[in-house]
Amino acid sequence: MLVPIFTLKLNHKINTRMLTIGCYDGQHPCLTAATTAGKVFIHNAHNRGIASGRMSVSGENSDISLLNIQQAVSAVSAGKLDPTSNCDSLLVGTQTNLLAYDVINNSDLFYKDTPDGVNAVVVGSLGTVEMPLAVVGGNCAIQGFDLEGNDVFWTVTGDNVCSLALCDFTNDGKMELIVGSEDYDIRVFQDDEIIAEMTETEAITLLCPMMHSRFGYALANGTVGVYDRTARYWRIKSKNQAIAIHAFDLDSDGVPELITGWSNGKIDARSDRTGEVIFKDNFSVSLAGIVEGDYRMDGKTELICCAVDGEVRGYLPASRDLKGNLMDTNTEQDAVRELSQRKQNLLLELKNYEENARAAQSNRPSGLGGMDTGQMGIIPANTQLQTSLTVDPGDEKHPPHVELFVATTNETILRTALIFAEGIFEGESHVVHPNVNNLSSELKVPITPPKDVPVDLHIKAFVGMKGSTQFHVFEITRQLPRFSMYIPCAKLPQEPQGTVTFTVQERVQRVVLWINQNFLLTDEWPAGAPLHFQVVSLRGTGALVIHMEGNGQVTIKTDDMDLAGEVIQSMAVFLGIEDLQVTSDFPGYMEELKNILIKVDEFSSVRQKLTAEMADHSNLIRSMVVRAEDARILADWKNMRKYYMELFDLNRDLINGYKIRCNNHTELLSCLKLVNQAIQRAGRLRVGRPKTIVVNACREAFKTHNIDALFKIMKVGAT
Amino acid sequence: MMELNLSRVDYTQVAVTSPKTMKLLPASGKRAIQKVTVGDHEGVVTCFGMKKKETVPVFKTLPSQAIKRLELGGPPGSVADRIFVSSGTEVRGYSKKGKQFLGFNTNLAEPPQAMYVTGSDLFLTGTYVFNHFHDLKDQNYFLAPDKINDVLCLPLDKFSLLTSVLACQDRVLRVLQESDLLYEVEVPGPPQTLCLLNGNGGVEGNELLYGTSDGKVGMVQINSLSPSHRWELPNEKGHGGILCLDNYDITSDGVQDLLVGRDDGLVEVFGYNETDEPVLRFSHQLNESVTSIQGGVVATAGYDEIVAATYAGWIQGLTTEPQEKEAGPGDEVQVNVETQARIKTLKQELEEIQQKVAREREKYQATAHSSKAISAVPFFNINDKFTLSKDDASYTLSLEVQSAIDNVLLQSDVPIDLLDVEKNSAVVSFSATEPESGNFLLATYRCQANTTRLEVKIRSIEGQYGTIQAYVTPRIQPKTCQVRQYSIKPLSLHQRTHSFDESRPMNVLKISGNFSMAEIHSWVCFCLPELPERTPVGDSATFYLLNTFLDTQLECTYRKGEGIFRSDNISTISILKDVITKQATHRKVNIQITYDLSDESIPHTLQLIHPRLEYQLLLAKKVQLIDALKELQIHETDLSFLSAEYVNILENADELQAEYKRQPCALERLYGMITDLFIDKHKFKGVNVRTKVPQLMELLDNYDLQTVIDFFQLN
Repeated sequence: MLVPIFTLKLNHKINTRMLTIGCYDGQHPCLTAATTAGKVFIHNAHNRGIASGRMSVSGENSDISLLNIQQAVSAVSAGKLDPTSNCDSLLVGTQTNLLAYDVINNSDLFYKDTPDGVNAVVVGSLGTVEMPLAVVGGNCAIQGFDLEGNDVFWTVTGDNVCSLALCDFTNDGKMELIVGSEDYDIRVFQDDEIIAEMTETEAITLLCPMMHSRFGYALANGTVGVYDRTARYWRIKSKNQAIAIHAFDLDSDGVPELITGWSNGKIDARSDRTGEVIFKDNFSVSLAGIVEGDYRMDGKTELICCAVDGEVRGYLPASRDLKGNLMDTNTEQDAVRELSQRKQNLLLELKNYEENARAAQSNRPSGLGGMDTGQMGIIPANTQLQTSLTVDPGDEKHPPHVELFVATTNETILRTALIFAEGIFEGESHVVHPNVNNLSSELKVPITPPKDVPVDLHIKAFVGMKGSTQFHVFEITRQLPRFSMYIPCAKLPQEPQGTVTFTVQERVQRVVLWINQNFLLTDEWPAGAPLHFQVVSLRGTGALVIHMEGNGQVTIKTDDMDLAGEVIQSMAVFLGIEDLQVTSDFPGYMEELKNILIKVDEFSSVRQKLTAEMADHSNLIRSMVVRAEDARILADWKNMRKYYMELFDLNRDLINGYKIRCNNHTELLSCLKLVNQAIQRAGRLRVGRPKTIVVNACREAFKTHNIDALFKIMKVGAT
Repeated sequence: MMELNLSRVDYTQVAVTSPKTMKLLPASGKRAIQKVTVGDHEGVVTCFGMKKKETVPVFKTLPSQAIKRLELGGPPGSVADRIFVSSGTEVRGYSKKGKQFLGFNTNLAEPPQAMYVTGSDLFLTGTYVFNHFHDLKDQNYFLAPDKINDVLCLPLDKFSLLTSVLACQDRVLRVLQESDLLYEVEVPGPPQTLCLLNGNGGVEGNELLYGTSDGKVGMVQINSLSPSHRWELPNEKGHGGILCLDNYDITSDGVQDLLVGRDDGLVEVFGYNETDEPVLRFSHQLNESVTSIQGGVVATAGYDEIVAATYAGWIQGLTTEPQEKEAGPGDEVQVNVETQARIKTLKQELEEIQQKVAREREKYQATAHSSKAISAVPFFNINDKFTLSKDDASYTLSLEVQSAIDNVLLQSDVPIDLLDVEKNSAVVSFSATEPESGNFLLATYRCQANTTRLEVKIRSIEGQYGTIQAYVTPRIQPKTCQVRQYSIKPLSLHQRTHSFDESRPMNVLKISGNFSMAEIHSWVCFCLPELPERTPVGDSATFYLLNTFLDTQLECTYRKGEGIFRSDNISTISILKDVITKQATHRKVNIQITYDLSDESIPHTLQLIHPRLEYQLLLAKKVQLIDALKELQIHETDLSFLSAEYVNILENADELQAEYKRQPCALERLYGMITDLFIDKHKFKGVNVRTKVPQLMELLDNYDLQTVIDFFQLN
């Protein structure tokens, strides 16, 4: 049985997901974490704490130094930013700033405004960039800062970034950036080009590099798993949330396991190949973070797990003699038990068949156990379950939806249908349980997928008779195609304004094949040039027209830029297109974007004005305090009273000003997010190299306030 | 105190077992190897011993009807090594070699639910009936007013009159002298199992252990005139109900310890302290309900162990014998060889069965092409329990299946809340519902591999009634699912009790009309949980109930043509009135309703709620302060400036937070009860006061007992 090699009580609360470890003097590892009230603490087990500059020594525990950030901390990380030194730098992110801090010299390396916020930080070398970078993920944007604080790397992503990891995804010795975001996507950037995208079923809260091209991930719904490149090895789902994941070779077999810390205080180590639990332990409260380091300074690296109440446990890798048997179990006993269990299950199955055969021979099958046919749920053996998926345009009572129709082939009834599918229901399942008086042999299940993603529907249908207490369970899996919420339409209510045109070196038949696979059509779409395919969205976002000439020129018409992007990306994957340049025009959207950009300017100038006002006020306050205190010393009560009244008013103004500033800031933030999304959308209309170029060119144009150039790039791309 | 270190060993698996169906046969010498005998639902009695870690079968009988109990007995004065089983309506006896020497058809109307054997006396109980046979001749008979869960008889040699004890569902032990009721002993929960202390009832032979279905254990002394309660173990941590008890000196300190098996798989060992009160020494979590437990020596001579049988039929040992031998590498290999051989044979067996199953599966699938064939899958066993727990006034639904559960669908046609249960690992998902189609709740539990047991906590609201359905799908092919129904009664939070405080101000509801005793009993049963389904014998019936959440009481007295209900809680009376009226109208019976409301009852009920509400408010306030205080603690070296109250909060921070977490929405529930009280008070006067509820809520937010009482009186 593996037991902790050390335990500590830090007596400080640790904010979840905000724990790191760094050797700030190049020798001694220090646990560093964000704690309550906008502070970061550094636990230095080997040196006494230091107090100067930003730091103060915490009360009675002199081995803990506190760093006062004065703002709610949103991310903490440590790593080597300076390639010439072996000391780590500490990075602390808040919703507005990023601080790079040199702990040993008590100085700021840089302090940067990050208007997109800091949701996650990683430190390390990225792709072909020479200097190590602090990569910051914010709202839709990713920035990389070098030692001097220059942002040498910038790109956008589909939604707010939740997690970041550096991993050698391509096995080429250079690190790729893996980004998990709120739109359920994991994106892999090689330098600033997206080389892979995987769609998950929830926001990706955690990512960690494992060995080679493998990485672990965790979702907001309690799923953890391991990917090797774009292929998922395994995943498991718990009702608890994963708070921390980390790769560590706990059983000394040379391959790191995925260590997960859960919100209910459990930690477990799972094999990276199979997800099998090889070790587990319990804390009394939720985990806060998991790191590794040589905390005892004896040359061995420990796995260090911290709980939110400041409890720390360190585990050394197990010795090889244990042969991976880390839990106090008797593997042979377990094997015997598992085999016996399997035997028992098979025997039960066998018994089911035997009883079934006996029932078939008997004239009165109801004689079985004194139950009648109905209660037993006896059904004809040739009962089959039929399913079909159709698009229902909806009427007054029902909104438009995709209809899943489930029916039995005879007089048996469908008691209930359970549909397990991820990402399209509130939870992971949807249940249709009709009233006992309306039972019939068919069920209709309305489905409205919120996003254009292909989904597997795992259907479990309970088939029996009216009044049955036992039912046969039919299990069927159906796939919902990517663009299921669209219905063909001969005459469009309104011609879409937005267009995208490009040329592909493909036959029309291939595109038709793609259409038939990705849309939910009652009849196959006929092949033949020119192709003219038009559908209307059931989500009320207008029409989509795909037109293709015999010469390979494709025109996509829609007012929804996201949809156009989805169509192009899906088509590119299907047709195997690596690079695609397009010309696009979305007049409505461009108008909107123009307004947003104007707003951004407005907000920025308001912000500057407010900042100036605040500076004025604080000067006034200073002088007012001096005057008020003077009056007090001179016992001039009347004036003192007056000054303090004024001071009170000033203070109120300042608070009001702050509130305005706050509102202004959130507005600005949401506008900036929209701008970032616009750039991302423009990128998604292209594939491969042109995509990267467009994103970077847009950024450049936005930075230099060249709005016209920005629009031009979005329309025709850049070179 | 010596620490108890027990390691688990699996012996064998039989079919599903009922409680108290496994015993160890008496040993030939002290600490010599004993044999295990067990009866299962297939009606098979299996007896086996252990030899070199291998199970060696002694005998195995042919299948018959499900075995409900297994007891050991023998001629008076000799060793009790004969095996008696109750299977269907028959009682069979086997010698320790497996020879059947008795086949006694009891001629009872229903299969006995419990059995006890001593000397030549046999005790059998049906659902309500107690029968005593001496030398297989009918001797005594008793009809209990509620369900009988267990029976035993105090040692014959120490009592002049035959004294037997029945554990009845209505929270009493009924002590019988021959056929007559001597007295009733009220216990804190529905008693589920009985056991004589030390196996012989102590020095005087009258000390009795009981275990309740809500997880409490207690000891009573059955004196000739009245019982005396000696001790009682509460169930603070909310463990499962007690299914079996035994006494065995596993700690080797010369005093017999108490062994407890629970329906959530927990096995516990209690030692006794100087004052003879039990102290927890050891606990171990098995995966399934523990149906039988006994201490003895099974695997290796000289090593004591606890043998437990589980619901799914596993016979497991928790032994004092160290499992990892430290002698030398040679020994280790030895152990491995034995287990390896066992694994090998198991694998071979498995392969054979697998082939057979594959053949059968093909045959079964082939029938799908035939138009005449049917598919009839036999029922699988579900061990389910739906109980009200007093501590948090919520229901616990537990479901257990012999094989792993794939998923469970919960459907309810009443508004209920599902609470999270810490030990569940299943992923729950709530589906959107449409109340028009009778679904207020649709939740799926997708179980992790190897989950055979699921527990769900349900919070109901009094006055809202209906049915909860659970669709259970195990992972056995061909896949089937079974539905179980549980009813939420209108007064769902009430519990049976046997005392009534007459001094409280009472509201009285009187119902009269032309109805029979059976009719009114069925109406009352419809409203209240824990009442016997059977119409009580005699002209009139009286039941006392207690509201588990508010501690208000209810008395129901009824006879043919008349029913009187008294409660200090006006909401209780209001619900009863509504539901009974509805029931009577439904059956087209004309009834007259009169009521007599007591104005003092309102302040009285508010007074009852007051301490809880105040406590909850204070708790909420304290919990809110914890974070801020902790921060202060970190930054200040000296905390002496803090008031005593704050220091106290800091010291007990963890307990406060745990307590707060344990009772989610307690405040909202209390607010709801007060609002109901307000509405119900005026409903009786024919006034609708819904518009004034926001005003009341405002008052509650700044709670003060007197202003609330005034508000009730003014409006």
